[in-house]
Amino acid sequence: MSEFDAIVVGAGPAGSSSAIKLASSGLSVLLVERADPPGSKNVSGGILWGNELAKVIPDWEKNAPLERFVVSKGTGLLTDDSLISIDFRSKKLENNKTGYSVLRAKFDQFLANKAKASGATLVTGVTVDKVAFKDRKVIGVEQEGDVISSDVVILAEGANPRVAIDSGLREPIGDRDVAIGIKEVIRLPETTINERFNLRGSQGYAGEYVLGFLKDGVKAGGFLYTNKETISIGAVINAADLRANNSTYSYNIMEQFVTHPFIAPYLEGGKVEEYSAHLVCEGGIKSVPRLSGDGYMIAGDSASLGFSNGLVIQGMNYAITSGIAAAEAAIEAKTKGNFSAASLHSYDEKLALNYVLEDMKNFKGIEGVTWSSLMHKAVPRIAEKVFFDMFYETGEPKRHLSEILLESIAGSGMSKSQLILEAYRAARRM
Amino acid sequence: MQIEEKLSLLNYKTDKGYEHITVKPDICAVCPDHFCTFACPASCYTLIEGKLNFKYEDCVECGTCFFACSHGSVAWSNPKGGHGVKYKYG
Amino acid sequence: MIILMKQVPDAEEIFIDPVKFTLNRSQARGIINPSDENALEAALKIKDSEGGEITVISMGPPQAENAILECMGRGADRGILITDRVFAAADTYATSLTIAAAVKKVGDFDIIFAGESTTDSGTGHVGPGVAEFLGIDQVTYTVSSRIEAGMLIAERELEDGIEVVSTKPPVLVTVLINANLPRRSRLRLKIDAIKKGVEKWDHDSLNLPPEWVGIKGSPTLVGALKIPEERKRESRPIKLDEIPVLVQDLVKKGIIRTGDEA
Repeated sequence: MSEFDAIVVGAGPAGSSSAIKLASSGLSVLLVERADPPGSKNVSGGILWGNELAKVIPDWEKNAPLERFVVSKGTGLLTDDSLISIDFRSKKLENNKTGYSVLRAKFDQFLANKAKASGATLVTGVTVDKVAFKDRKVIGVEQEGDVISSDVVILAEGANPRVAIDSGLREPIGDRDVAIGIKEVIRLPETTINERFNLRGSQGYAGEYVLGFLKDGVKAGGFLYTNKETISIGAVINAADLRANNSTYSYNIMEQFVTHPFIAPYLEGGKVEEYSAHLVCEGGIKSVPRLSGDGYMIAGDSASLGFSNGLVIQGMNYAITSGIAAAEAAIEAKTKGNFSAASLHSYDEKLALNYVLEDMKNFKGIEGVTWSSLMHKAVPRIAEKVFFDMFYETGEPKRHLSEILLESIAGSGMSKSQLILEAYRAARRM
Repeated sequence: MQIEEKLSLLNYKTDKGYEHITVKPDICAVCPDHFCTFACPASCYTLIEGKLNFKYEDCVECGTCFFACSHGSVAWSNPKGGHGVKYKYG
Repeated sequence: MIILMKQVPDAEEIFIDPVKFTLNRSQARGIINPSDENALEAALKIKDSEGGEITVISMGPPQAENAILECMGRGADRGILITDRVFAAADTYATSLTIAAAVKKVGDFDIIFAGESTTDSGTGHVGPGVAEFLGIDQVTYTVSSRIEAGMLIAERELEDGIEVVSTKPPVLVTVLINANLPRRSRLRLKIDAIKKGVEKWDHDSLNLPPEWVGIKGSPTLVGALKIPEERKRESRPIKLDEIPVLVQDLVKKGIIRTGDEA
């Protein structure tokens, strides 16, 4: 007889959502989080859509500590001298759900407390060493030599899943699976944020950028999200390219981004209150490990269930969805009294049915596009030249756009045929 | 803003009794790339007179160094007992 | 054994409001007062070698329960939280009196361990205050303690050196922050602690006159809170043979005095 029906490792969006679902369905749940308080080791680099959160917290939009509701989405290309951007604002965004900016120290604590209120035993400030096995089946978790037993263990440790790796339940993370995320939280008066981003009340802006100014093959994306009285700004750096370069400091890329002539004015006068770093799942479907086995399931970032197509970054939403799916699978397994790999495979099936694995399969290979030289070098350079030639008054007669475009492509460092091929690949994957 | 200044904004509960990351000096001494010094966002890995210097106290627990080191020098585990970085915002 | 523990706002997260000159604790999260961790560790060491039960007593708002559970996760057996609105805004006098009443209610105790002082007020009054109200001996500023033939042997770290004290319990011991390395909590013990729960004692359960507790029972008044102005320090490089001139200069400025004058 196990001590708990389920043990959930990690009280982030995946783990807490899972624990809420399990506990409110009457299962005995232990939720273990190494941070104290929960959330104090977590970093958000995305927007919370939260559609699935309603399944476990119906009133989440009223009570969760949310920052701003995104009504304005920006996509920008940055070169040394220029910012080429498209901002999408629409009344339609206000009616449809784009999502909220959140700060995870508060948000994750809210979720963990919800799990506790639902009846889960919440233990914080304790680090699980590994899962416990018996006859190659997971039978609980191990900490300082003690075994705490459960019928099923749900690993929701985040992007650096030590327990899963150290227990041999997934491969170690490599350059191709993750990017290095760095973020700063900068305090500014609410009114200043509203003025700078043309927002009212709790409206928010979310921008993604290509940091095309980086040299020598280094590639990174940037994000900027408005919170109530702070701005979250960050860089997401491709690890393989940084390694190949081996002369650029990750933290200097971040500094270059925040001091860029067309980013710095957004932040001017603000006080940097926090610096943070976190891995970002980028590997796509090929990084996803075996999701379940005898007595265990892996959810959220731990299972590399993250996705980015350059315009939309998915992490927290997949985490919540997969956490709930794992809980549902555990509840069914409990009813059947069967926690074998075959029984828990219903978790994989649930993920295949909802949008998580669907998205990841549809956008298979997208990481090859988001990190391509086309996106990071050629497109920013071509765009800069096109717009410059269009708007720069020389006193000469205006040239045709097609003429400018061809000339810009010639100066982009990529051959025309190369460019067409890359563009074709990109369009297919996006 | 210098990285040192950014790190000084953080609240750490340092575990004086346990280093959650350790490196093998023998391996680092002959390392051809020292990619860790470029990859680590918290500048925990630095070269001092050509010799690798590592301090775990500034670590923000991202896990970058674990996969950044391709020579098997970095042993990575989570800090224990609620120790380590404590973000206020996240 | 009894541990007196306080949950304090994390000093790393407190800042001084540059306009109002008040301490802003709104951003600060609760932690176990650092030297109370050392007090607990001192008791746990004795429990390791001699056995015995450890009861943690804390006074504060309901959230302080987390800090008590953490102590139990490290090996304390019982947790008591003294919590009631009427205890709010108590100074060190009223706090000591209230905690002493709780200790008496627990009854059976031999050694009480307390941190030397708290990071949020730093008076160092409460431990000794409790000892006074209980009428027992106290050993302050300790860096180690052990039991030998029924006696408590403790080392006190004083300015001049280490003083070794031997005393017969019951005794109250205050522990310095450098005394030991506090152990970490264990999952097994934390689960047990949550199952066991923390006892909540309110004003009624301590049976103290209302005018003795909380703000009514507190004679201390805080006049004002100021940040001392930082004085500019001057320096200049000197050569060795300039020393006599420098000394004369310092005497003239009244910074130092010569033996002749004294």
